[in-house]
Amino acid sequence: MKVDVARTRALWTANKPGDSAAPAYVPDPPAWWGVALALVAALVLQTSVAPWLAVRGARVSFVTLIVAWYALRTGSLHGVTFGLIAGSCEDALAGSTGVAWTFATAFVGGACGRFARTWLADMRIALVPGAALVTLVRDCAFLVLMQAQGLALPLPALHFHAMLWQSALDALVALIVLQIFPQLGAARAHRR
Amino acid sequence: MIVASSIALIQLESLKTGKPSVIAVAVASVAVYAQSATAAVQGVARGAAASVADAPRLAAQNQALRDKNRTLRLENERLREALAAAPDATAIADANARFGPGVEATVVGYDPEALSRTVTLDRGALAGIKSNDGVLDDDGVVGRVVATAPLSSTVLLVTDGASKVPAIVQRGRWWGIATGTNTSVRLEYVSQDAKLKVGDAVVTGEGRSFRAGLVIGSVTRIDHPEGALYQTALVTPSVAFGRLSHVLVVSPNPSAAKPAEPSE
Repeated sequence: MKVDVARTRALWTANKPGDSAAPAYVPDPPAWWGVALALVAALVLQTSVAPWLAVRGARVSFVTLIVAWYALRTGSLHGVTFGLIAGSCEDALAGSTGVAWTFATAFVGGACGRFARTWLADMRIALVPGAALVTLVRDCAFLVLMQAQGLALPLPALHFHAMLWQSALDALVALIVLQIFPQLGAARAHRR
Repeated sequence: MIVASSIALIQLESLKTGKPSVIAVAVASVAVYAQSATAAVQGVARGAAASVADAPRLAAQNQALRDKNRTLRLENERLREALAAAPDATAIADANARFGPGVEATVVGYDPEALSRTVTLDRGALAGIKSNDGVLDDDGVVGRVVATAPLSSTVLLVTDGASKVPAIVQRGRWWGIATGTNTSVRLEYVSQDAKLKVGDAVVTGEGRSFRAGLVIGSVTRIDHPEGALYQTALVTPSVAFGRLSHVLVVSPNPSAAKPAEPSE
């Protein structure tokens, strides 16, 4: 496993930005069916089991982590598309949020996709705080979109408190997952 | 690009028309099966663990309940006698008719994020559930239906910040609006001359989703600021939302939807 990560990093390093030569690697994006299965599992966890694991009114958002990770590995367009799908599922299950999760998640997918194939996407030390930041940005976008739809949440202070806790939980989960599966912390690629 | 555009347009169209999108209906219908299965497994596991852990406490509680049951049975017999002797039997029949039959449902899912308080039921439009139907359990008011799919429906709990239910303090018939605070309920817009007390029962007023007199909770704190137009009370809900399982969905009160008839 570690050899695989080291090989992938070496391939990335061999293709520094500014190099005029053709890329020395070809990225291997994650299989779409694997990500789709992960999304389904995340939704089931969040709607059935996660309420029992809530910490101070906040829960881990596995959906955010999966969308951000997939966007980092594939790019903005795939990130936006996957974000729209994941967000639509969340809106359907929440029932009272209109289309707020749909476009908040798509926004996050698109934003994370901008960092695909950059050093940030392969730097584990940046991925953990990045998970917290992405969660916070998505939740803020959600509140803005709720307001735009006329579905304003009347207790913003309370929700901001929950958002901060959710960010911390997401960062913790990202750290644990990257410790167990270090290969997720670097893009897969093969030599041209 | 085409897929992304299609999803965005479908979602925007649903926002414009105010109806659930095809995506929302499909996802909600499929998800209810997975959620039902997970909820069933959880229910068995929780029940087994709780029965082992709570055995000594349950024995004592059982004895206390037997005593209470005896007292209540005696009181029930006395009240039945009083009811049978009541002169206006027609009024009671009318009240019973207003209750109407309900749809029994099981809670199978929760809000995917923690930013709102909603639950998913395993019965939907095919069972006759509609938006704004009231949801109750043995202890009182749970919430109201905000979205329905053919096989599932979503309920906004009374503890959600967006929930507003007309309410009455039972002792003095003072009116207010019960609003969620995410963990409990706040009774707002209560007149300053209302003499609220801690422990007062708060029930529903005649409204869109509920008939009058259903228990919401009891007052645990009163805020009576000087110079304010209204006073506010914190209400602890009678329903234990942490272990919500079986609920009853009742249709909105038809008389609340009708315009008021002119007085003669």
